[in-house]
Amino acid sequence: MTLFPAARAVAIKDLTVEIRARRAVGAAAPFVGTVLVSFGLALGPGRTLLHQVAPGVLWLSVLFASVLTVRHGWAAEMEDDAVEAFVLAGMDDASVFLGKAAALTIELLALEIFTVLLTSLLFDRSFLGQPLLLLAALILGTIGLSVVGSLFGLVASSPRAGDGSLPLLLLPLASPVLLAGVQATGYAIAGQPGRAGPWLGLLSAFDLTFLAVGIVVFEHLLEER
Amino acid sequence: MGRRGLRALGILTLAVSAASALASLIVSPPDAQQGDLVRLMYVHVPSAWVAYLAFTVVFVCSVAYLRSGRTRWDRLAAASAEVGVLFTALTIVVGSIWAKPVWGTWWSWDPRLTTTAILFLIYVGYLTVRRLAETPGRRARWSAVIGIVGFVDVPIVHLSVRWWRSLHQPPARLIGVPDLAPSMGLALVLGLVAFTLIFVYLVALRLRVARMEERAFHEALATAMYPDRGEVVRHG
Amino acid sequence: MRGTSAGGGDTSSALTVLMSISGRVPVLAPASRDPNRSSAVSLRGLTRFHERRPTVVGVNLDVDPGEATFLRGPNGAGKSTLLRLIATAIHPTFGGGLVCGRDLIFERSGIRPLVELLGHRGRWYDDLTAAENLRFVCSLYDIPTAGIDAALERVGLGSSSGIRVRDHSEGMRKRLSLARVLIRRPELLLMDEPYAGLDDGGKDLVDALIREAANRGSTVILAGHERREGLAGRTVTMERGAIVTSEVGP
Repeated sequence: MTLFPAARAVAIKDLTVEIRARRAVGAAAPFVGTVLVSFGLALGPGRTLLHQVAPGVLWLSVLFASVLTVRHGWAAEMEDDAVEAFVLAGMDDASVFLGKAAALTIELLALEIFTVLLTSLLFDRSFLGQPLLLLAALILGTIGLSVVGSLFGLVASSPRAGDGSLPLLLLPLASPVLLAGVQATGYAIAGQPGRAGPWLGLLSAFDLTFLAVGIVVFEHLLEER
Repeated sequence: MGRRGLRALGILTLAVSAASALASLIVSPPDAQQGDLVRLMYVHVPSAWVAYLAFTVVFVCSVAYLRSGRTRWDRLAAASAEVGVLFTALTIVVGSIWAKPVWGTWWSWDPRLTTTAILFLIYVGYLTVRRLAETPGRRARWSAVIGIVGFVDVPIVHLSVRWWRSLHQPPARLIGVPDLAPSMGLALVLGLVAFTLIFVYLVALRLRVARMEERAFHEALATAMYPDRGEVVRHG
Repeated sequence: MRGTSAGGGDTSSALTVLMSISGRVPVLAPASRDPNRSSAVSLRGLTRFHERRPTVVGVNLDVDPGEATFLRGPNGAGKSTLLRLIATAIHPTFGGGLVCGRDLIFERSGIRPLVELLGHRGRWYDDLTAAENLRFVCSLYDIPTAGIDAALERVGLGSSSGIRVRDHSEGMRKRLSLARVLIRRPELLLMDEPYAGLDDGGKDLVDALIREAANRGSTVILAGHERREGLAGRTVTMERGAIVTSEVGP
């Protein structure tokens, strides 16, 4: 089966499972709420500071929530060894990678709508300055997180993996996403599109690079030895 | 590398390191502004060089392994990572010690040091993945993937950290390479050579241990595969 | 069909294997020199280590197309591992061979569409229904989805097609795997203890599938403890990773 239809099938399957079980988003949304409140408690109650850190807190919450989401996304594959079905079918491994990354992107974006609303509420910061720019930042950043997450989700689902394995792998590698996402978001809501531009460019470069690398290396992750 | 080769390398390394220590600690003069503190540069810069060199080796070996499947590349990548993580830690610690008296703070989020800190975490991720994998084949493949992904990521990380850091007035770059008197330049070059040799020596040592382990395994394997199997074999 | 294992006196092949470990001589699947390319399965010196223990050792096996083979042996004999090796779910540590005329190591992608592995784990998504799972299988193998309902009826899951697999009993999950076999109609069918967890009706269904496969000219290898009436053909016995006997009939 050719690349994109196969990827689409995998993505639809992932999203169907997620909608049915509400595992990833269902666990991640309360988690985001908890994280945001905790940040508020830890950094507040001064409104000025909270106002300033809102973009950073937003992206941190998304980053942490992505760890949960990735892990849940792969749990379904490991339950009944379904992941082996990809190998046995001789499916192009890049399709699995792209499909899972696509599904993860959509799940995270859905979560981010909730996160943005809650952050702007708790941290008294309107995120509506430049909605298109904000959307661009969120989408590009989320793609980056999803690509890295899909690469290492399988590794982190290994029986020997501890709870810390995925964050250890994900966070350092995704640090450009965090940096660029926060900056781009900050400038977007402050209404400074010019300064957000370079950061969006960085995010795009990150996304393209890791998509390319991921497509090339993913088969080495799936194949059993 | 045979035992004799290893010993020769060890002696050479020792000699160059001694020369380098002599040059850094005694022969080269103290800096006009920092005084004797500048001598930390002779450790910090070479170990940073080795940290990144080691990761480049990891990258090249990872690619080579995925393309050829020969375990020797995986062994070299692993050895290089194990030694490299030590030098990365050294770079960060010495950099921090140097920063405190010069900048007044242990950690100033300097772009290069910050990138090195993230590199350290990627190294740790690499070594963690090696422990996570359940079979030797997976271990080699998975760590090769992270070796490649990590290496590609580092320039992007550095760029983003540099942009990010430039958002606020950076402190005067006192930890740069200060104006070098010729003897300081010589000491620095000697340091680079010495540290590179130390790196090569340690990797060679590590490889030797790995190869001995593998030889022991193969012997056990051969015994397991071809013991005296007295079972009757009947043809249908 | 002949099945053997490397004996203790086979020093020349031991040397070959040891040299290959040290990286000096690659182990070419001797089967690539095998003129008998029309066999369904042709294995040479197939060996698989799990960590440092051998699970399959020096297996030589030839199965003709359309043959039905019963693979038996005690628990831990290596039957499941052997089937998984043939299905290319896992790689051999040493040795190689041909499956459906394609090299086991270098032409895996050509083997996979032709083989169906009925293993211990069903590879199902618990949160999807039986029908949805089968639809995904069809998309994996590029098979039209038209036959799904009929297959589900045939295995007795027609009324449960809308129930999530999570709520299936073990017997139902097994039947779902049989439905997958029906849809895929593989050229080589590998069954690992297919009767386990099934009632009499289910066991009859398995026998029917085996018969139909034979009629189609497909090859069947069935691993298990008990052997049922319907399976004519040869019996291969494994013990501690090696094939010890191979003979016609039960």
